[in-house]
Parts: sequence; C-alpha cells; structure tokens
Amino acid sequence: MDSSVPASDRLAPDDAFSQDIAAIGQAPPKKRTEGPGSSSRRRRRPFKKILWFKQPFPDNYTDEETFLDHLQRNPRLQPYQFWSLMADVTVVVQHVASVAIFCCCFVAIAQEKVSPVSVVSCATVCTVLGWTCWDYWVSQEDHDRPDSPDSSLSGTYPPALDTPAYQPPYVDPMSSLSPRNQVRLATAKSALLIYAALLGLSPILKSLTRSTTSDSIWALSTWLLCMNVLFFDYRGGKGAQLPASISTNSGLMASTVLASRLPSTTHVFSLTLFSIEIFGLFPIFRRRLWTESRHGHFALTSGLVVFASGGVFVTLTSGGLLAWVIGVILGGTLTFLAMGICSFGLMSLQKYKNEIHGPWDPARPIIRRS
Amino acid sequence: MPYNIAMVSDFFFPQPGGVESHIYQLSSKLIDRGHKVIIITHAYAGRTGVRYLTNGLKVYHVPFFVIYRETTFPTVFSFFPVFRNIIIREKIEIVHGHASLSNLCHEAILHARTMGLRTVFTDHSLFGFADAASILTNKLLKFTLSDVDHVICVSHTCKENTVLRASLDPLTVSVIPNAVVAENFRPKSVEEGGSEHPRLGPNDTITIVVISRLFYNKGTDLLIAAIPRILATHRDVRFIIAGTGPKAIDLEQMIERNVLQERVLLLGPVRHEEVRDVMVQGHIYLHPSLTEAFGTVIVEAASCGLYVVCTRVGGIPEVLPGHMTEFAKPEEDDLVAATGRAIATLRAGKVRTELFHDQVKQMYSWTDVAQRTERVYDGISGTLSRDEFYLGAEVEGAWSAARGRPGIQNFALIDRLKRYYGCGVWAGKLFCVCAIVDYLLFVFLEIMAPRTQIDIARDWPKKEVTRAEDTENIDSRPTTVPRKRSARNR
Repeated sequence: MDSSVPASDRLAPDDAFSQDIAAIGQAPPKKRTEGPGSSSRRRRRPFKKILWFKQPFPDNYTDEETFLDHLQRNPRLQPYQFWSLMADVTVVVQHVASVAIFCCCFVAIAQEKVSPVSVVSCATVCTVLGWTCWDYWVSQEDHDRPDSPDSSLSGTYPPALDTPAYQPPYVDPMSSLSPRNQVRLATAKSALLIYAALLGLSPILKSLTRSTTSDSIWALSTWLLCMNVLFFDYRGGKGAQLPASISTNSGLMASTVLASRLPSTTHVFSLTLFSIEIFGLFPIFRRRLWTESRHGHFALTSGLVVFASGGVFVTLTSGGLLAWVIGVILGGTLTFLAMGICSFGLMSLQKYKNEIHGPWDPARPIIRRS
Repeated sequence: MPYNIAMVSDFFFPQPGGVESHIYQLSSKLIDRGHKVIIITHAYAGRTGVRYLTNGLKVYHVPFFVIYRETTFPTVFSFFPVFRNIIIREKIEIVHGHASLSNLCHEAILHARTMGLRTVFTDHSLFGFADAASILTNKLLKFTLSDVDHVICVSHTCKENTVLRASLDPLTVSVIPNAVVAENFRPKSVEEGGSEHPRLGPNDTITIVVISRLFYNKGTDLLIAAIPRILATHRDVRFIIAGTGPKAIDLEQMIERNVLQERVLLLGPVRHEEVRDVMVQGHIYLHPSLTEAFGTVIVEAASCGLYVVCTRVGGIPEVLPGHMTEFAKPEEDDLVAATGRAIATLRAGKVRTELFHDQVKQMYSWTDVAQRTERVYDGISGTLSRDEFYLGAEVEGAWSAARGRPGIQNFALIDRLKRYYGCGVWAGKLFCVCAIVDYLLFVFLEIMAPRTQIDIARDWPKKEVTRAEDTENIDSRPTTVPRKRSARNR
C-alpha cells in the first residue's frame, strides 16, 4: 500500500516540463489542485491508497495501478485430476455398498431366506479378522516409535469403538501385561459387554414398535439410512475422529426400527449386532485401511461392490446364481460409470469456481497454542 | 446551491454507534453549509414522531417493526406511503442512505428513484463473499445500487469491496473518510498533569490502552494471547482495557490464570464521552481488530496523543501515517513484536506524540467531509457538469475500462428496468417486478393522495451567518451527542 509506489522508469513527454519530480515527490503539495483540467499537463505524485493526506485527485478517482491490486481469485485452487478423483470416490462407493449390503441382509432375514445367525456369524468373523489387521497395524506403528509409547497410545489413534482402551486410564503401568496386551484385554472386555447388553436388550427392542404400522417403519428407516449416507464423514486421514455421530446414530436407529419388525429375539439380536458391526466398526476399519494400503482398499471396494450389486439384484429378482452374476456385471458397470460421470461433472464444474479474497476479508488470527 | 437532503438509515440516536454519529455530524455540518437536512429513521423505544436536534436538524421516527439489532423488517413496499409524504412535505431533492445492513435505507433509495429523486448511498462496512449472510446482503445491495446515482465509501478498501459486491462502475464511487471531532479528543493538558514535552525515562511505566468491544472480530483472542507475553518481556508496562462483550470472560480468566490483576486494569463498558479520559491515561493504543472498514477509534487515539499499534487489516493501513502507527500482522507473535517495537520507540523518544493532536486535526474534520459530500451532491444533481465530475476522475493513469458512460442516471422506467435486469438470471427478473410494482404503487398514491393535499413543512428559521465565522465556529462547538462503539460497523 504505502510502500508500493510505482516506479517510473520510462520517460514520458511530461518529463520535459517538470525536471523537479524528485523535489515534488518529497514534499506534499499544500493545496489541493483545483479541478483536474488545469493540472492534467503537470506530472502528478502517484496516487496512493491513503486517507490521512488529501491527494490532488477527485474523490471518485480510480487508479489503474492500485485499484484492486490486493484482489486474489481462487488463491488455493487445486485442479482435480480424474484418476485421483476416482480413487477418492471409492470411499463413498464403499459406504453406499455397505448400506446396500445391510439392506439386502435385512430383506433376506425378514423373508426367512437366510438364517440370521449365519449372517451375524459371517460378519463377526470378518470383524475379528479386521480387528486383527488393525491390531497388527497399531503394533507396527508402536515398533516404529518405541521411545514414545504413551503419546502414541493417547493421541494418534482414533479412539475407536472396538478399542476404547486407547485412553490412558485403561493402561495400568503397574500391570504385568504389556500395554498392548492390556489394550487387547480391554477391547475383548468391552466387546463382551456390548454382546451381553445386546442380548438383554433384544426382547425390548423386539416389541419397541409393535403399535406402529410397517409402512411407517419402511419410510422411517429409508430416511434414516439416507441420513446415514449423507452425514457420513468421508474425510480420510489418520487423525480423523470418530465417524460423524449423527451418521452412526441414524444408521443404528434405522437398524433398531427394522429389527423390531422381525419375528424372534434371535433375529433382533443378530440384526442389531450386525448393524453395530457394519455402521459402527466397519467405517473405522475402512478408514485405517485407506491410510495403510491402497491396494487393500481397492480390493475391499471391489468386494463390497460385488456383494452389494449381486445382493441387490438377487433381492429384487429373487433369482439364483445367474441373477447374482448378472447383477455383479450390471452393478459393477453402473457403479464405474456413475463414478466416472460424477468425477467428470465435478471437474467441469470447477471452471466456474470464483472465490474472491482481498483485504476486506476478516483476518484469521494466528495464535500459538501453548 | 443549497439542497434539501434526507438522510435515511435504520441506525440513529438514541442508539449509540459509528454510523449514527457519522450521520449526525455530517448532517449538522451540511446544515452549517446552508443545506436543509432531515433524518428519517425508525421509531425507537421512547422516541417516536418528529424530533428536532441541535441546529434545527429534524428527525422523523417512522413506526416500523424491528427484527434484529435495530434493523427493520424488509417489506419492500410498505415504507412508500409514509416516505412519499415526508419527501413531499419537506421538498426533498436528494435521498442519502447509510449502512448496507439498513433495510430502511434500501427501501428509501428504491422509492426515491421511483419518485424521480437523486440518491446517494454511503457504505460503512466490509463484507466477505463466502458466507450465506454476506451473499444475501450482497444481492440486496446489488438490487439497490443498480439504480443509485452515487456511492460513498469510507476507505479505499471499502470502495474496492463495494464495487465488487454491487458490480458498480468505480467512477460512481467516491472515497470520503470518516472524521473525528478533534476537540473532544485532546491530549492531557498541563493542568491535568500532562507536560509539554513528555519524555519517558527507561524506568517509567508505559500504559497500553485497549478500548474495544470484546468480540471475536475485534481480535480479542489475539489480545488475550498477547497480553501475558508482552507483560512477561517488559517489566514496566501495564494495560488498561475498556469495553465489554462475550469475550470479557476469557479475558478475566487469562488475568486470573497468569495473576496479572495488578498490571491489567479492566474498566468494563465506558461511555463515549469518557473514552478520551481513558485514552489520555496511556501511552500506546493497541488495536488488534481482525476487520475494519475505517477504524475511527485509532484516529481518536492518535488525536489523544497515543502511539498506535494496530493490525494491518481492512482499511486501517490507509488511516494514519506511518510515524503514528506500528503495524502488526494479525498473528500473536507479530503483535507481541510490534508492541515491543512501539515500547522501544517510545522509550527512545523517537516519536513526538505531543504533536499528534494537531496533525490529526488537520487530517480529519467533519467540515471537510461535508464539503466533499457536497461535491458529490453537485455532481449528481448536475451543478457540476458530467464531464467535470466523472471524466475529471480520469486523469492520466486512471481507470479506463469504465470510460464508457458513467453519468447522470435517467429516471425513465424502462432505463431503470434495464439496470435491474442485469442483476442476475432470476434476481434480475424479480427486481424488475419489484420496480414495476413500486412504480404502480407510486401512480396509485399520486391519484389517491394527490400532492396538492400534502402540507409543506416550514423550514427551520435559520440565523444568517457569514462563511468566515462559520468555519471558525464549527470545529470549536462541542457536540453534545454521545457516541459509542456500536455492534455493527466498527
């Protein structure tokens, strides 16, 4: 502003008439020039954006050099790349696919095509496998930084549902077990607790919505699942917190109201446990997998898409293996096309981005947290 | 050539604030210059009807439903009958609206254009472009300012902001700063214990004054972070903080946590008359604001002879010359460093703060503001020729992209509709409908309440004063109207 005096290194015809530019440049002229016409021949002091000194310019003078010189357009623009965008979209695809799998399982259970126990057993086996992977990754991370186990335990890991033991209170320094094993023990304890609580709650959940018609339940659960997909926290990264609680809660609530339509306590128990695994624990595992191994992530995505599209097609047509295969082919193609179209759409919309920043924006204070 | 001017804004006394006092000072100075000025605002609790202030300044308090922070409910048309009546009664020629958050001002400008009057708008604040509230306000501003004769902004930054927000031709926007009544902000006189040439010894206590509402956008967080560090590095320094707000509790916590009760004095809210008495107790004025269109308070502080430390945001860098200020980035570290520099400069005796008052007095005066505003009125009403007013601004190096045809906005409905139509795909059509309805309403009112049946108000009997006396008396007359920081525009 004050410092940005445009240097005039070119000679203008006016220079011939006023040799004493430097002199004028130092001392501010005392009187305001009367009218622009009279002084247009003389060389002027360059216009400055200051208010404390009355410059010999009219009030509505607009200087070409300095007007809007601090304007910034799209200062932090990162042009999207097609394939990286496609890779990012897989996170969304994974979540939508897992919700679809949940719906298919519910329909299958409700229509008595599949035993609820087999569904929940499969899911539990997968969860235990996932937890083993998780545990392996965490212990590897500990090996990388053996000197600071405390900070790694308390800060860096997401405080996950299946591993509440990452809070320091669970780690007893007096214990004979290693911190890792204590954490594992605490996890097992809390898993057992959830299991038992759910077992006790199932009869209550079963009669929860007896006075409500099924139509309302279908509508309600549809909206809740939509909320679950919309509010889900798709951001990745190691420091990510719990999945947005509104998303998890709406997912669990949807499963609760759906479970109350099922015939027996076992059904209710199985579906609720399944929903906890798929809405509560699975997202944490997916997030970790995204940071640990991209190949694993893409393999998981393909697996989920295969199961989801096949399951949806079988449910819709109530067909057999053939329907499954057709569904997988059709669903896979459709998913890929949708991903491509959405990515292209976002990329082509980016050229309309017009973010304006300037000195009028409220500054962001930078404060050191001590 | 004297004009009949109506200042319209939602914000006026009894509410304290920067816009309010701007309107009052400008109006009284314009009256001193021989114009007739009335003010139209909405009814405040305990203040309704028509009032007269000092010097025959007439204030109309129009009954209106207030929704939020003294802003009236936007009804677009309901103000028209009353407005028309006032305009005809007072024979108004120029309608001058203030503050972009004031709904009354936007309505008045629309109706005034329908009635064929010249309009001016003064913008006092900065807006971003990102959040929902700003987007809405900007669209509304675009509507009103599509058909306005001239716009006045309080700083160059504010001008850039307004030009972008309302898509204006920069030549129709003038920069006329705020001013201060320097007489009300005198440094400590000799009788009060001040000295002619204050010199600070190496062990004298330096007092840093902060007077601000304690809000986030006033940078209170920066202040809270910086105070303990400043006090830790400089032994003979103490703080006086005046003002209140939601961040006051954080400030108190900071003081208690660091046990600084002896070195930080919290005064709580002070009235505007008392601001000067607080300021003169200090040597440095610290202003950590995060956004500011003009920042009158730093001019007031400099006028009191304080060395100013402020953040380089908004219009602040334009306001005071470098020898009166120490600039900081809006960062904790830099604010601490800048305050340190300011303390060192003061201790070394490198700044002559005793001269500040007279310098500020020459920089800013309301008389000058009124003169420059008058030139705007001359330009839009045709007293100054179009070439002189608009093309005069296009001296060498000036804005050339707009060399098209800025100038006298004509009143034909079809031309006005053309201007509104360009506001946006949907908004343009909506605005056109509004303008047409407004015009029909005008025709309806002309038939149902003809001009001939509206009484003409008598003007305030003015004493004849000569110009020379005039200019002498203006600055020395103390203004009696209180002024405080408002929640809106400072």
